[in-house]
Amino acid sequence: MNPTNGKLIGFACGYTPLPLIHAAGYTPYRILPTTAAPDQAGQVLHENLCPHVKRILDRALSGDLPELEGVVFINCCDAMRRLADAYGRVRPQDKTILLNLPVTTDEPAAFFFNQQITQLLHVLEEWSGRAVSPDGIEDSIQQYQQLARSLDELRGRVKRGSIPGGSKHMQAIYNQAATGPIELTLTQVRQLLAEPEQPDPIDGRVPVYLFGNVLPDIEAFALFESCGARIVGENLCTGSRLFRSWVSEDSTDVLLRLARGILSRPHCPRTIDLKRPMGISREIKAEAELSGARGVVGHIMKFCDPYLYRIPTIREHLRLVNLPLLVLDGDCTMRSFGQHRTRVEAFIEMLR
Amino acid sequence: MMPEYIENLVNGIEHSFNSDPAVSTPRKLYELEFVKLGRRLYRNEGRVAWCGVMAPFDLLRAMDVTSCFVEFLGAILATAGVAGPMLQAAELAGFTGDTCAYHRAVIGAAMQGLTPEPDFLIGTTCPCTGGLAALENLAEIFKKDLFILNIPLNDTRDNIRYLADQFKAMLEFITQKTGRMIDGDRLREVVENSNRVGAVMRQVYDLAKNVPSPITSRDLSSFGIAMPLLFGTEAAITVAEGFRKEFAARIGRAQSGVKNEQFRLLWLQNRIMFPNPLEKLLEEEYRAVIVVDEYNSINWEPIDPADPITGMARRTMSDPLNGSATRRVEHLRKAAIEYQVHGAINPCHWGCRQGTGIRGLISEGLKEIGIPVLNLELDCVDSRNFAEGQMKTRVEAFIEMLDSRRSH
Ligand code: SF4
Ligand code: SF4
Repeated sequence: MNPTNGKLIGFACGYTPLPLIHAAGYTPYRILPTTAAPDQAGQVLHENLCPHVKRILDRALSGDLPELEGVVFINCCDAMRRLADAYGRVRPQDKTILLNLPVTTDEPAAFFFNQQITQLLHVLEEWSGRAVSPDGIEDSIQQYQQLARSLDELRGRVKRGSIPGGSKHMQAIYNQAATGPIELTLTQVRQLLAEPEQPDPIDGRVPVYLFGNVLPDIEAFALFESCGARIVGENLCTGSRLFRSWVSEDSTDVLLRLARGILSRPHCPRTIDLKRPMGISREIKAEAELSGARGVVGHIMKFCDPYLYRIPTIREHLRLVNLPLLVLDGDCTMRSFGQHRTRVEAFIEMLR
Repeated sequence: MMPEYIENLVNGIEHSFNSDPAVSTPRKLYELEFVKLGRRLYRNEGRVAWCGVMAPFDLLRAMDVTSCFVEFLGAILATAGVAGPMLQAAELAGFTGDTCAYHRAVIGAAMQGLTPEPDFLIGTTCPCTGGLAALENLAEIFKKDLFILNIPLNDTRDNIRYLADQFKAMLEFITQKTGRMIDGDRLREVVENSNRVGAVMRQVYDLAKNVPSPITSRDLSSFGIAMPLLFGTEAAITVAEGFRKEFAARIGRAQSGVKNEQFRLLWLQNRIMFPNPLEKLLEEEYRAVIVVDEYNSINWEPIDPADPITGMARRTMSDPLNGSATRRVEHLRKAAIEYQVHGAINPCHWGCRQGTGIRGLISEGLKEIGIPVLNLELDCVDSRNFAEGQMKTRVEAFIEMLDSRRSH
């Protein structure tokens, strides 16, 4: 077990190597884009940047953040790179690091990402003032793998409709796992799994598969349910994508294994598999089919290039298997999400 | 449609050169080389690669691959005034108007079979996420293989080696596609040409810094971003030498690009690609000249012919668009000081996250050294929503502000 120092390290991207932060004694804290802070980031950045990064910057500008020992940024897209720039400008006193994330997942890319996370390790050691051992990292990886497997089991229950609160409950757990100590989440998830499966009282809802980038708000899931949808599968950056296990490989280099593992998980469309261009479309199609959904909802941040450029192909792939797609523009506020109600209701009606 | 348009352009320019040598200005020669490149692409001469902006075009040339960045095609479509229907086609297929119009125009044209067909594609992670996503789409449309160069943000030794190794892997990829191996002598020749053009371009830029500047706002417009497409060729050297000679002669005759130059301006990122009245307004009404485009600089050291791949990797990573905002702002501040500009104009191209996302930091960084920035909300490729009157008013107000600052 790694001793925790109780301090938080902020992060914003699903590719962040959480086990490393944990192994260094910190609790990874995802800076979720939910805030009542005034909307002012557009003045520093530009209005046409994704609301995910703008809301995070709003939090930074308004001091709506817990005490953070440092923040790990990743250049997963232009918007994130600019967030790292702007954050450094508005909170110069904070310690930050920006990691390079390759776009491809081949071996040279994994080696490169390995160098990046090795650099992160050194920085974390410097911030915490203590060395991190390979065994410690291994231990943290195992905990995260365990959490991923348990969450996977829990997702199975959500799909079967046998967990009270369904996808709302699931999202609450994801949010806690992304912002709080893993030990606490693991205990709670284990307790939940120890309970006998209960049939979800609300039935007759239409199975829907949900994908997209950021949708941490539990009320959004409540809205889907109240419109007659049952989320039976999901591929969200603030959901399952952050917590999926990977196949362990035999390299003795623990950081290389971590790098390969992170790159091999189901990914955000910003990552490209050269052997299968537009792989994200096939991935979403396969997962949606497997989930037994009758329709698919894409919840996409406005101005998110990684998704905006792939939606036409995703739609095309889903059309081939007769899965209708509803795309909702997100802006990280429930106010705008509420405006989608009519469209979601009409979509569910059509699927009945 | 486009092949005929380009063919006519080449013939027209060549004809005018033959009938009246006086019209063969350096700018016309420069344009001729680019329309010829467009013609090679449309004729599918040799193997054709569609690329990201930061691809090593001279290295591709050493493999006899005709290559260009896809945004170049988008720019040609806009300049030819035919981008509108292409943009519409892409939008109808589901590409929203919030994406970069350079890419939407090319995707729309490709979907309609109005572009040349690439043999393969080479994406680059710099400058933008959208560019890479566009190439992934084009690879899918044409069912052609895509190779990607991950360009690290900072130029450490490890990162340069990583990029150099990717260049080598790219050469193997091209060999698989074309059956050709890289020829050492050819590579040496290409590198020497690139070094020569780099040296001449430096001199051209130095001449443009003269007060008053010998250049007009048009002379070197988009020059620094487009010239790498010609790197490695004799033609690039001829073009650059043409500018050098012309500017030196103008300075010798005490002739400025804009008569009675009053204001010197820095133009950020991209020019507006479709016909618009702003440059004319600046020059004729206000005697204001765009003396420098953001990309008009040589930031790399000559490449060692004994280790060309490493030198090319270093060159790629030295691009000011790569890396942090601080680096780009530093680059702009240096340009503003060296060219003694009074102000900067930033056309905030709708759909460009990397460019517009840095807008606030650029304004702040230039303001710190006393250079005001005019941010224009527009789309450099899509003329459909161009608010001409509003843009003119804003430009006029900006110049008047510069004027009042000067008189205080
Ligand atoms: S939502 Fe899209 S644009 Fe925004 S940070 Fe995530 S991947 Fe980048
Ligand atoms: S304008 Fe911006 S988004 Fe468009 S190609 Fe250029 S860098 Fe990329």
